[in-house]
Amino acid sequence: MIRDSLRLRLLAAAAVAIFAALGLAGAGMSWFYVRHIEQREADALIRDGKLLAGGLRLDPAGRPAADARPGDDRYGEAASGLYWQLTTSKGGVRSDSLWDQSLSTTPGAERERWRIRHAPGPFGKSLLMAERPITPEHASEPVLVQVATDDAYLHAARREFNREIALSLGLLWLFLLIAAHLQVSLGLRPLAAVRRQIGALRGDPAARLPAGHPREIAPLADAINALADAREADLGRARKRAGDLAHSLKTPLAALAAQSRRAREQGALEAADGLDRALAAMRATLEAELARTRAAAAREAGRSFAADIETLIENVIAVIERTELGERLIFEVDIPDDVAVPVAGEDLTELLGALVENAARHARHRVRIRGGMAAGESRLWIEDDGPGLGRESSQAVMARGARLDEAGPGHGLGLAIVGDLMQATGGAIALDRSGLGGLEACLTWPVGQLAPQPRAPGVVSWRTRR
Amino acid sequence: MRVLVVEDDPVVGPDLVQALVEAGFVVDLSRDGEDAWLRGGVEDYALAVLDLGLPKLDGLSVLKRWRAEGRGFPVLILSARSDWAEKVEGIQAGADDYVGKPFAMGELVARVRGLVRRAAGHASTLLAVGRLTLDTGRMTVAVDDRPVRLSPLEYRFLDLLAHRPGRFLAAGEIAEHLHGAADAADANAIEALVLRLRRKVGRELIESRRGFGYMLAGS
Repeated sequence: MIRDSLRLRLLAAAAVAIFAALGLAGAGMSWFYVRHIEQREADALIRDGKLLAGGLRLDPAGRPAADARPGDDRYGEAASGLYWQLTTSKGGVRSDSLWDQSLSTTPGAERERWRIRHAPGPFGKSLLMAERPITPEHASEPVLVQVATDDAYLHAARREFNREIALSLGLLWLFLLIAAHLQVSLGLRPLAAVRRQIGALRGDPAARLPAGHPREIAPLADAINALADAREADLGRARKRAGDLAHSLKTPLAALAAQSRRAREQGALEAADGLDRALAAMRATLEAELARTRAAAAREAGRSFAADIETLIENVIAVIERTELGERLIFEVDIPDDVAVPVAGEDLTELLGALVENAARHARHRVRIRGGMAAGESRLWIEDDGPGLGRESSQAVMARGARLDEAGPGHGLGLAIVGDLMQATGGAIALDRSGLGGLEACLTWPVGQLAPQPRAPGVVSWRTRR
Repeated sequence: MRVLVVEDDPVVGPDLVQALVEAGFVVDLSRDGEDAWLRGGVEDYALAVLDLGLPKLDGLSVLKRWRAEGRGFPVLILSARSDWAEKVEGIQAGADDYVGKPFAMGELVARVRGLVRRAAGHASTLLAVGRLTLDTGRMTVAVDDRPVRLSPLEYRFLDLLAHRPGRFLAAGEIAEHLHGAADAADANAIEALVLRLRRKVGRELIESRRGFGYMLAGS
């Protein structure tokens, strides 16, 4: 589990490191504390020792005698825990507190300074002892001056100190762990942001991680963006290849159609029929693929506005007017200057081309194209004065491959392409009865939106007219 | 009637030729852009069927060169890329109609016939009415010698008025001429047509009087 989580790993490492550091600090403090109180105790012992040394003499038998004795009452109280002792080879003198016991003498004490050591003492106690050999004036032999105190309370103080310091260091450890947790969370927060942003990348190939990441994460974000670029380019290439493939198949299809015609002329009617059916299916598949390619490209192009809608419409009309469909029709165009449509020029040409051609196919005399802005939406209406559609047909029309007019020219996919493109650009299309008497297609785009909604429904709705 | 077919596909080209020959045309086949450009420049064709994806010189360039050299025969574009942006580009380059591949041969032949009929309908005479000049052969209109792009219907409207100088023509009468007696458009449609025409040729060139109808200014 720890192996899987960066956060747990960092936290575990912090916990161990902080624990070790605090443990070391605690041991150090304990050692210093004990040394400090031992030193103080030793200082007191040395003070008493110096007092003894000041009144030190040897009696004629060569035994030591103390003229000055430390005033602490505990020296007179048996087994009180505070003792002194003066020793020569001829004998010694000691405090009353020692009773019938004596302090152990271990060779090695130096004349120059007081030796401090722990030593086993009388009454089964352990002692802290200060000792120094001192030679009184006119004496031939040094006297070993020893002052000792029971060190049990030293151990008690150390235990108590250790307990308290462990408690406070434990609390400090907890506090530092919380701080480490906060630190890790704070440090990992940009990663969480990156994770969210990558989630957004998945939905939209054109999206990229924004700039402004911390210096440590910026290279990662850059690498991810580079990956996204490569992926988008791959996608674009794949789509382009699909589109090119579809286009390149059209001429061979025309050739196949020619073969079918020849077969029919030579009387092979069944073969020709079969070929024609296969051709129609292939053609529909190609057109569907091309429509998908175009819609996907429109979706990825992001939000851009067609520059001059009216000129664009006039261009489309100029094409239709040339054909048999349009040469007898009157086209009316009314696009106010403030109409802005969030569709790139070429895609809007494709949209309007399909819709105006369809209107022209069904119109008796007139096709009207209007535009308008209302309530945060931009709208285009394409109307004709033809027979119009019923409610059921208008639903069926938008289904891919359905034809408005089975007998008419055109591949029937025009309006399905319209549906795809509207969906890709975040718009909706509604079919209604036109004031001219025929069909009215109303294209609506919300203009408040920032980017095309990748999965906005290309709604087909039927409004009932009052 | 001679027709030039420009198509590099070894099956589609000859098939087109055969279909058009069967339809009564005399057909030349050209397999690349340069050859087509040269032939169109010297021969007198009634129409050209022009594929866009051609070796040596692409179809759109061929068309532009023909038009720049004043070759005015109708051109029907045949293309595998049948998107609208390309149709618009083709028409703007001077094409007269557009058929996307794959196509139904019957439809293509019908379109060729329609184009030839339209272009050959009139002897080429210039008709000047005020600032308007109508070329009845090429079915084009110029205002102060500046060509104006009109739809066939718009041309027919102006042609109708130009042939009846000095008198107002009622909307109903115009509709009857344009659409036939059986299928006359309403007056609103004619009004919409005039509105559109006025934006193209200038509002003062078409006079109207309530209750009487329309007349060309200066006739």
